[in-house]
Amino acid sequence: MDFVQAEEIDGARWSWHIWPSSKIEAQRCVVPFGCLYTPLKDIPNLPVLPYPPVKCKCGCVLNPYCSVDFHAKLWVCPFCLQRNPLPPQYAEISETRLPGELIPNFTTIEYVLSRPPAPPPVFLFVIDTCINEDELQVLKEYLLKALQLLPPEAIVGLVTFGQNVHVHELGYQDCPKSYVLKGSKDYTPVQIKELLGLAVSPTRLSGTSSSVNRPQGAARFLQPVSECEFIFTDIIEDLGRDNWPVPADQRPKRCTGTALSIAVGLLEASYADYGARIQLFVGGPAVEGPGKIVQAELGDTVRSHMDIDKDNAPFYSKALKHYESVTLRAVNAGHTIDVYGCSLDQVGLFEMKSCVERTGGFFVQAESFHHLMFKRSFEAFFRGTQAENNKSGEEQSKKMGLRSGFQGSLEVLTSRELKVSGAIGPMTSLKKQSNCVSRDVEIGMGGTCAWKMCAVDPGVTVAVYFEIVHPHGTPISENQFRYVQFVTQYQHISGQYRMRVSTMAGRWTDPTNLVDIASGFDQEAAAVLMARMAVYKTENEEAFDILRWLDRMLIRLCSKFAEYQKEAPETFRLSPQFSLYPQFMYNLRRSQFLQVFNSSPDETAYYRSYLNRENTLNGLLMIQPSLIAFTLESPPSPVLLDVASIAPDRILLLDTFFYVIIYYGATVAHWKKAGYHLDPQYAHLKTFLEAPKIEAHAIADERFPYPRYIEADQGSSQGRFLLAKLNPSVTHNSSPNDLSMASDLIFTDDVSLQVFMEHLKKLAVSNQ
Amino acid sequence: MLEWLFNILAYLGLYYKNAKILFLGLDNAGKTTLMHVLRDDKVAQHIPTQQPTAEEVVIGNIKFRAFDLGGHAAARQIWRNYYTKVDAIVYMVDAADRDRLNEAKKELDALLADEQLTDVPFLILGNKIDVPQAASEEELRTALGVHHLTTGKGTNPVKDVRPIEVFMCSVVRKMGYGEGFRWLSQYL
Repeated sequence: MDFVQAEEIDGARWSWHIWPSSKIEAQRCVVPFGCLYTPLKDIPNLPVLPYPPVKCKCGCVLNPYCSVDFHAKLWVCPFCLQRNPLPPQYAEISETRLPGELIPNFTTIEYVLSRPPAPPPVFLFVIDTCINEDELQVLKEYLLKALQLLPPEAIVGLVTFGQNVHVHELGYQDCPKSYVLKGSKDYTPVQIKELLGLAVSPTRLSGTSSSVNRPQGAARFLQPVSECEFIFTDIIEDLGRDNWPVPADQRPKRCTGTALSIAVGLLEASYADYGARIQLFVGGPAVEGPGKIVQAELGDTVRSHMDIDKDNAPFYSKALKHYESVTLRAVNAGHTIDVYGCSLDQVGLFEMKSCVERTGGFFVQAESFHHLMFKRSFEAFFRGTQAENNKSGEEQSKKMGLRSGFQGSLEVLTSRELKVSGAIGPMTSLKKQSNCVSRDVEIGMGGTCAWKMCAVDPGVTVAVYFEIVHPHGTPISENQFRYVQFVTQYQHISGQYRMRVSTMAGRWTDPTNLVDIASGFDQEAAAVLMARMAVYKTENEEAFDILRWLDRMLIRLCSKFAEYQKEAPETFRLSPQFSLYPQFMYNLRRSQFLQVFNSSPDETAYYRSYLNRENTLNGLLMIQPSLIAFTLESPPSPVLLDVASIAPDRILLLDTFFYVIIYYGATVAHWKKAGYHLDPQYAHLKTFLEAPKIEAHAIADERFPYPRYIEADQGSSQGRFLLAKLNPSVTHNSSPNDLSMASDLIFTDDVSLQVFMEHLKKLAVSNQ
Repeated sequence: MLEWLFNILAYLGLYYKNAKILFLGLDNAGKTTLMHVLRDDKVAQHIPTQQPTAEEVVIGNIKFRAFDLGGHAAARQIWRNYYTKVDAIVYMVDAADRDRLNEAKKELDALLADEQLTDVPFLILGNKIDVPQAASEEELRTALGVHHLTTGKGTNPVKDVRPIEVFMCSVVRKMGYGEGFRWLSQYL
C-alpha cells in the first residue's frame, strides 16, 4: 500500500487503513484510528464544479460512493442510507454521462458556491515601534515591499504601538493623521468601536467587490492598496521610534496586548465574516497594558519554563487570559492573527499562542528583523497572497508561500460504525453536535464534528481522530465499507466562496485478523498523530507523565503486533509496517516538543505551533530529521541519524524543518580551509563542496518559515546543531575499544536507540 | 545534631539563600551542559542556546536562580539586560579551544570593566580538562590575563575587593565545578 500516493489523491494519511469491526478490539490497537487531512492541498487537476453541491438530509454531499438509481433518479447516501431524489437538473445523467462528483476518480472535488463574492482580503499591520532604529528601518523597508506584492485591490490598515497605540488614517490623503489610544488601558470592544468612530451601524457589505459599501468609519483606516499607496508609504517612511524616554535600567513600554486588542476591534467592527489577517510585528516583551508579561525594570526577568511550572510568573495568567479573549473575538469574526517575533530574547509568544493557533495564523521567529529568517519568510508570505492569474487558479507554484483560504470551516461526517472523537490543528471548535460525534472518547478538541479555520493555507493539515463504535461480535459483511467525508467551506482569495469535499471509503476486517489490520498500518502518519496528541497533552499534564504515556503506548503496540515468543526478547521482530515506529517514538521523546530544557517558553510555543499545522511529511521531519551524506566517490544518499554517520571525508546535510545544517567532516574542513577547491586542478572538489549547499538552499527556499541555515566544521561550536539530533551510539562513556573505532562521539548520558530498543523488546515480550 | 537540623531546614527550603547568577561565556564553553548537570545530574548534548533560559538549581545550601545566556556573538548583545540585581557571574571558558582564548579574554575584560558589575563576584570555570590538549590552570590564567586579579581560593572570604577566582573543571566528567561553587557560596 503506497500511503504517499494515496495522499496525493485526497490529501489524507491514515494511521490504519484496515479497521477491525469491533469497538473493543479497536481500543486494543493502541494507536488511535486517525487521519491527517490537508483541506486545501494542491491537488493536480482538481475538478472545480461551477454549481452547488447536492446534499442528503444528513448533510452528506453527493459523491462517487453513492449508489444511484438512474431510472428512478434516486441516490442512496452511504452515510445514513437514506434515499434522496436527484434534483431536476440531473435528469439527463446516466451510467455513461456522470456529473463530476459521481466520477469514481474524483473523490476530492471542489464546488464554487453561488454566493456573491466576498470583498478582497484585509491585511492589518500592527507594528512595534520600540525596536532599535536600524531594525525599524528594515521592517519599514519590508512593509513597503509587502505593499508592492499585495494585489492592488487588497485592503490594508496600519496600527503602530509603543507606550500608546496609534491607529493610522489611510483614507485621509492630505497629511498623516492617527487616533491615539492609551496603551495601559484594557478597552472593551464597544469602547474601541466608539473611540475609533466605528459605532455607526455598519451597513452590510453587499454586491460585487467593486461596489463595496464600506461602513463610513472603518474606511478611514482600511483602504485598498490602489487607493492608499501614497499615504501608506508616507506614514511608513516618516515612522520613527516610540518617543517616550526609556531609562537605561528599563525596558521600553510596549503595550502589545492593547495594540492587538484594538486591531481585532477595528476588524470585528468592520469586516466580521470576511477574510482578514492581522500581522503583528513585535521585537520585545510587553510591559504595559493587559498583555504585560514582565515589569519595565530590567531587574525583573521574563518568565521561564521553571517560573511557569512553579507558579512564579506573576503576569502569566492574566496575559494568557487577555490573549485568549482577543483570540475568541478574532475567531468569532473569522479573522487570523500572524505574529512575527523578532528578538534575541522572548517577546511573549507563549502567552499569544492561542491567537495564532486558534485562528490558523503562524509564528515567525528570528533573532532580529535583519535576519534572513524574518526577511525570507515575510517575502514568501506576501508572494503567496498574489492571486493566481491562470484560469484554473490551481496551478501549483512551489515558490509561492501561503495562498490562503479565508473564513474556513471543516466538517466531518462518518458512517454509522465510527464517530469523531476530536481534532488537533490550527482551528477552533464550532461545538457542533451531530450523530457523528463520539460521546465517550475525546481527543484534542472534541465534542464536535466541525471546526472553524479562519485561515486555511494549502499546507495546513489537521489531525482528526475517530472512535469505532461497531459493537463487538456483530460481523460486518464483506461489501460494507466505512465512509468519512470532509467538507471544507472557505472564501477563496479571488473572493469566490468554495466548498471542497473529500469522501473516503475504507475496508473493515475481522477483529481477530491482526495480520490484516497490521498490513494497513502507516507508521509515519501514526507517529505524527501520536506526536500531536502528546503535544496537546502538554497543556494540562506534566512532561514526565506524557513521556511515560508514550512509552506505555509503544510497549503495548509492540506487544500486540510484533512477532515473538513470550519472555524471549531475542525472538522479537517487527514487520516492515512497524519497524521504524519505535525510532520515531525515541526521537519524539528527545525532541524539543516534549523536552523544554534549553528552550524558552516562546521557543517552545513556536516549535509546537508548527507540529500542529504541517503535513505528515513535515511533521515527521520535525520529529526525526533527515540526514544525507555527500562523498567524493558516490552520489548523495540518506544515512542513519547516528553519530556513526559522521566521517572525516564526508559532508552531512541535516534538515530538521526548523534549521538546515551542512556539516563538514574534519578532512573536508581541512581541504576547505586550505582552499584546495579554488585550485582549478581540483574542480571536482569544488563541485563536491557546492552540492550540499545547492541542496540546502533548495530546501530552504521551499520552506515556510524560512529555516535557520548553518554551516559548521566537525568539532566546532555550531556543529552542535547536528550532534544534538544524532543517536548517541558512541559517547564519552563508551568502552575504549568502541571509542578507538569511532570517528566521533557525543557527550551525553542519554540512552542510545539501541539501549532503548533492548528495553522495549524486554518489556514488550513480557507485557501480557 | 545541628547538622541534622540544617538538613531538615535545607530540605524545607528555609535555609536556602536565593541567588541570581548568570552563566556567561563564549558559545560552546559548556554553560548549558553545566546547567543540565546541576539540574538533573545528567550530561546531554544540546543545540546552541538561542533565547536565554532559567533554571533553579541547588548546590549545598544555596538555591540558585541560574540564567543560561547564549554565547554566540549576536546573543552577547543582550547579556547586559541581565546585570541588574545579579549576585554572581559564572564565566565559562573552553580550555581546550586555544584558538578562542583571546576572544574569551576580550569578553571577560568587558564584563570586568562593566560598571553594573563592579562588586559582583566572578567564578571563572576552565572547562573541558578531560580533553588532553586543554590549557592548564596556569596557562588559562595567563591567557585570560587574570593573574593579578584573582583573590584566592581560601575559605576566609576576602573583603573590600571583588572576589575573582579560576577553577578548572570537566562538566562531562562531573568534576571540578563543585569546588568552584563552594568557593562562590561564601560570597552570596
